[in-house]
Parts: sequence; C-alpha cells; structure tokens
Amino acid sequence: MEYKVEAHRIMSISLGKIYNSRVQRGGIKLHKNLLVSLVLRSARQVYLSDYYAGVCLNAQHIEAKEWELMDADREKLIPASEAAQPSSADCGVSEAAQPGQTRTTGGAQLCLKRHVGAEDGRASRLQEKDGDSLDPSDVAVTSPVSPAISETQCGSSDCETDADAAVTEGDSRQPPKDHACSHRKRSAEETGVSETPVKRTKVTPNAIVANNEIEEGEEMDTSNVSNLITIFGSGFSGLLSKDSAKSESETDDSDSGSGQICCEQMLKNLNPWTTAIVAF
Amino acid sequence: AAKNGAGCSNSCLFQRHGFNFHSHPNSADVISTVEFSQSGEFLATGDKGGRVVIFQREPQGEYNVYSTFQSHDPEFDYLKSLEIEEKINKIRWLPQLHSALFLLTTNDKTIKLWKVSERDKQPEGYNLKDEEGRVKDISKITSLQVPVLRPMDLLVEASPRRVFSNAHAYHINSISINSDCETYLSADDLRINLWNLSITDRSFNIVDLKPDNMEDLTEVITVAEFHPHHCHLLAFSSSTGTTRLCDMRSRALCDQHAKLFEEAVDPASRSFFSELISSVSDVKFSHSGRYLLTRDYLSAKVWDLNMEKKPVETYQVHDYLRSKLCTLYESDCIFDKFECAWNGTDSVIMTGAYNNFFRMFDRASRRDVTLEASREVCKRRAVLRPRRVCIGRKRRESDICVDSLDFRKKVLHTAWHPTDNIIAIAARNNLYIFQDRHSPSGHHGVHRIEQETAPQLEDTPPQ
Repeated sequence: MEYKVEAHRIMSISLGKIYNSRVQRGGIKLHKNLLVSLVLRSARQVYLSDYYAGVCLNAQHIEAKEWELMDADREKLIPASEAAQPSSADCGVSEAAQPGQTRTTGGAQLCLKRHVGAEDGRASRLQEKDGDSLDPSDVAVTSPVSPAISETQCGSSDCETDADAAVTEGDSRQPPKDHACSHRKRSAEETGVSETPVKRTKVTPNAIVANNEIEEGEEMDTSNVSNLITIFGSGFSGLLSKDSAKSESETDDSDSGSGQICCEQMLKNLNPWTTAIVAF
Repeated sequence: AAKNGAGCSNSCLFQRHGFNFHSHPNSADVISTVEFSQSGEFLATGDKGGRVVIFQREPQGEYNVYSTFQSHDPEFDYLKSLEIEEKINKIRWLPQLHSALFLLTTNDKTIKLWKVSERDKQPEGYNLKDEEGRVKDISKITSLQVPVLRPMDLLVEASPRRVFSNAHAYHINSISINSDCETYLSADDLRINLWNLSITDRSFNIVDLKPDNMEDLTEVITVAEFHPHHCHLLAFSSSTGTTRLCDMRSRALCDQHAKLFEEAVDPASRSFFSELISSVSDVKFSHSGRYLLTRDYLSAKVWDLNMEKKPVETYQVHDYLRSKLCTLYESDCIFDKFECAWNGTDSVIMTGAYNNFFRMFDRASRRDVTLEASREVCKRRAVLRPRRVCIGRKRRESDICVDSLDFRKKVLHTAWHPTDNIIAIAARNNLYIFQDRHSPSGHHGVHRIEQETAPQLEDTPPQ
C-alpha cells in the first residue's frame, strides 16, 4: 500500500536527519531531534501496523463486538465515530480485552504512556486497571480468540497503534483515542512522568516470535536493542553488529550513503518497544 | 492611497539595509534576530556571525546605522567536543534611563549585557603620554598641565558590562527582561533560569522540564517571555503546542503551571507531521498584557489569558502548505521557526512566511494582507502591493502559485515599533524597514511617495 511506502520513506528521511544532526555545527539540536523522532515513531507505527494487518484478520470479527461496546462508552468524546480500521484497531483491543470492563476508563490513560514505549505503556495500563497483575505473557496465553502469535504481534505494537491517532493521511481510525490523546499531554504532565513503568527489559518471547514472522526468520535481538538512544549513542555499532563489519569510523562519515545503509538496517532492527527519543 | 483598516495601510515609506550586496551572500550575514528598543528610537539586529548592528531613527524618520559590534564569537566546549555557534539568537533592550543604551544579547550558551554609549569629547593634554599615546620620556617633562576635555567626532562605543555564562546545558532560545527591570529570564530547551541583571555568577532555576530519564522526554521549551506588566507572571510555549502561564508567587519552581493554553487537535486532520506543525515557534504577550499571540507552523493564534481551552482568534498564515508537509519535512523547512508581532495598539498582528512574504491580520475587521519584502519589488519610497498566493490558476498578475514559492526565502524575524506603524522585516541578510505614511508619528511632510493606483486590501473571509 502506498502509505506503507510513504511511511518507509519518511522513516528513512528521519533517520538520515538524526544521523546528520550529529555532525552539524553547534551540536545536536534537542528540539529538532525530538520532533524528528516523533515523526519517525509515527511513520514506524504505520509501517509496522501493516504487517499485522493480515494476521489479525482472524481476531477482528470477534473483537469488533467489544470494540463497538467501547465506542459507545466513548461517545461523549467524539461526535461521530467512524469505522475503525479493523487490523490494528482490533489488535489493540484484543490485547486489552482481557480486563474488559475497565477498558473504558483506560481509554484516556492508554495515551498516557505513549511516549514511554509500547511495552511500558501497556504494562502501565495494566497497572492502572486497579492493580491487575496481568503481564504480557499472561495475556497472550489466556486469549481465547486468537493464536498466541497474532495476539502478541498485536500486543507488541498495541499501545502505540491503538493509543496513537490515525497516522496515515486521511485515515481517521479511532477518533476517540485521538481526542483522548489531545488531552494526554496535559494528564501526562499532571501525573508526571514518574509513573514507574514495568521493566523495559521485560521483552517477552512473544515479541521475538512475532518479529520472526515479519522479518522472515531474522531473529531480532531485542535485548540488545533497548532503545533508539543506545543505538545512536553507540554510533550505530549496535545496528551493524549482526550484518557487517563496518567500523564506527566509517559510519561517522557524514555522507548520505552510509546514512542510507544505516537507515535500512535500522528499519529491520527497530524494536517496537523502543522509544524514539534521542537522549543527550 | 486610502488607508484600509487600522494599521493595515500598505502605502509605505521603504528602506532597505543590505549587509552584503553580492549575489551570493555570506551566511554569516544572515540576520537571526530583530528587536526595537522600548522607545522605538533604536533597532537592533543580530546575525549568524555574532555581530550586532544598531540603527537609530533620525529626526526625518529614517533609520541609520548607529553602532556595530561583535557580540559573540565561536567557542568550543572541550568537555563535549562541541562547537558553540556565535549566532545571536535573541536581543532584548532594557528601558533607556539616560544617554547610554543597554541591551542583552545571547547565543546558544552565553548571555551578555552590553552598554552602548556615545563619546563626543576626549581628554587632551596628558602629562605622561603624548597625543599619540606614546609614553613621554620623564626627564623631558618640565611642567605639569591639567588635561582638558575637547570635542571630538562622535564615537559610539559598545562594551560588555556583564557576561552570564555556564548556566545552560541546552541551547538558549529566549531571553526576556522582567517589568521590574532588575531581573530577566533565559530559557533553553528544558530549563528556564531567572537572573539578576547585576549578578552573573548565579541564577535561579524556575522551570525544569528535564525528566529523570531522558528517554522519557516528550517536550521541550520553545519560547519564554515575561508578562509586560506583572513581574510575577511568565509564559512559555512548548514543542507539543501548549503554552503555559506560570506564577512565580505561588511556588519557587514553576513546573506546575497556573494556566495551560492548548487547543484540542482535530482528529480528522492528523498526519505524520501533526505534532511537528503544532510546535509553537513564538509567543508574544500583547502590549495590554491581556492576550497571548502564539505562532505554530501554519497558523497564528490569539489567546485570551482568561480562556485556556481554545484561542479567541486563529489566523491561517499559509494553510496551502498543509498538503506539502512531506516535501517541507524533507527540505527541513518544516522546522523553520517563524516569529510574530503585535502592533502598538494590539489591533494588528504580523508574521512572516515564505517567498519573502509577510502577513498582517487586522483583528477587528478580520482583513489581512500579504506583502513581499524583496529587492526586486521594492524601490525606495515605493508602495507595497498586496500579494496573493493561489492554489490553482492565477487570477491576477500579482498572484503567485504555491508551486512557484521560493522556500529558501523566508521571513522568520519581524518586529513592530512599540508605538508607531513602523515594521522591520529580516529577509536572509537584508533588513527592510517599512513605515506607514499615515503614521501617527507626525512625519507626514517628509513622505513623498511615488505611488501607483491605490491598492486594495484583499478581502478574505472571516476565520
């Protein structure tokens, strides 16, 4: 689909910008890099959501009913809800469908942890549900409606896809969440970012399984790729460790060629759990 | 030409000051900030090369160069192996109390207080040195004389009186002098510090957005400004499109805002770049102190301080760019930070755009005008013709198509005289000064304008 192509292109451009910013005069501009990382994340979500589209088709019929229930609950947030895009919407729903009744209040809080990363967001969402002790692997296992793989594939991107607004042009999926997201910033600020996220390293085996499906057998070393900051902080050595013997000095050449190679390898290795913020 | 709307006349006295007349301007001459003094008698510009040029208004109404000095030089942070740019990010004037001028200038890391003073007398008749300054042979001195002050050619000297350094780990984006004229704030991406103008070795941190874990970073401070009258109030805007009003009386650390101005985003218009274009690039209090003007990438909004949930007015500056955001992202144009300005009576707001266009919006009549600041178009004392950007076919000669816009020509920095209808527009390395010939300043007799047929202001539908 064309928006997937565009998402890929935007991701490449964004990575190139982050890369080039390291060699710019005056040092890295925090503001610009933050904005670029937000675009990168949006594009990545769209790009990755497409992978889950086919797999989640099984789940969507069963989950659609619950989705309608939640739509009704969030009526007050939006004047008219448009048809949710089945794939990622229902994937996101299926994940949280387990503690079903508290889902509505979680609607706004879903967005709270957006920026902290998918896993943390989901984990904290689970926490917010009155101490539900569900953890990702529990959810995957107990899901009655879909195979574990599809469940966790959805799960691995759930918070970001279902908590995020419709990113693609003209795609008005999940308006209630969009609206909730617009207030997210305020609530996030008020509650502070001090909510302890569940351990970021609790990357489940499910995620690896999920990504194996997508990456055509290439095993994603999620434990190494903990976040985007680590990647850039180590000068791309984390990116390139598997595939080539390129030294860091080469990657520091600020020509678009090496930036491009880094982009492509980055796209393969991007962990859905990563937070796309460049730290200083 | 008839005057249309309060302050929106486009029959103007025009001046252009170019810093480099070559066809390929030196990037060090690119103007990075423009600011009128509090009386409007002086106008300061800062450029990428760290230089400050001060213009003074002559009795006839024109602005001429008064003083030029090198404010900041490139530095190197050895700890971080980073070069610190000498580009002047902001200039702010102190109120003028006596003959000397005081202004604050800042680059990414260091703020300086400059004193600019005139000298028109010099002492002559020293005992120990001769007229050229060479030390005299003591054995040759036979008598003592008292040095006397004699008139000399006017010399304008600039000297740094204070240097405020090492207080910002991130890049400084704003400085703002408090109405108490004793303190000022400086803001970087994550923190706002409060200084006393006389004390350089310490500052108080009043806003800190740095998360414990930088990976949790969600927003940065983009602009901060003190309220024009209330010395305890300050506003700062962020990359998430919010503007906060903080009260320094309520607590020492103003992380908790007193008010939060944020407009809900229309879900239907979301795209990859929604967050990007909502980042606020400038914040200005109205002269009255009642309103806030914010500028994001595509629009300018007027907020009533008493209403937080949405602006009272929204002006689309160049909404035709909404469909081109991806291209603008690629070219980095989407990161351009446009400033905005109020006129003296808060009835008109002004902001820049691309193709060397700048726009003015009359708040009462909702009329707006697009004008161009360019060497080719402007003759001295010419009348500016309104321009229009069309999306489809050109309907008028003066129209320009969206696809023909030159995105390398951008008016990021604009300033409006505090009381009169005089505006300063920076277009790359050129400074344009436009004056309304119907200016209430009383200089009517001087303005002999060669004008064409009376231009009409464009009618645009109310926002």
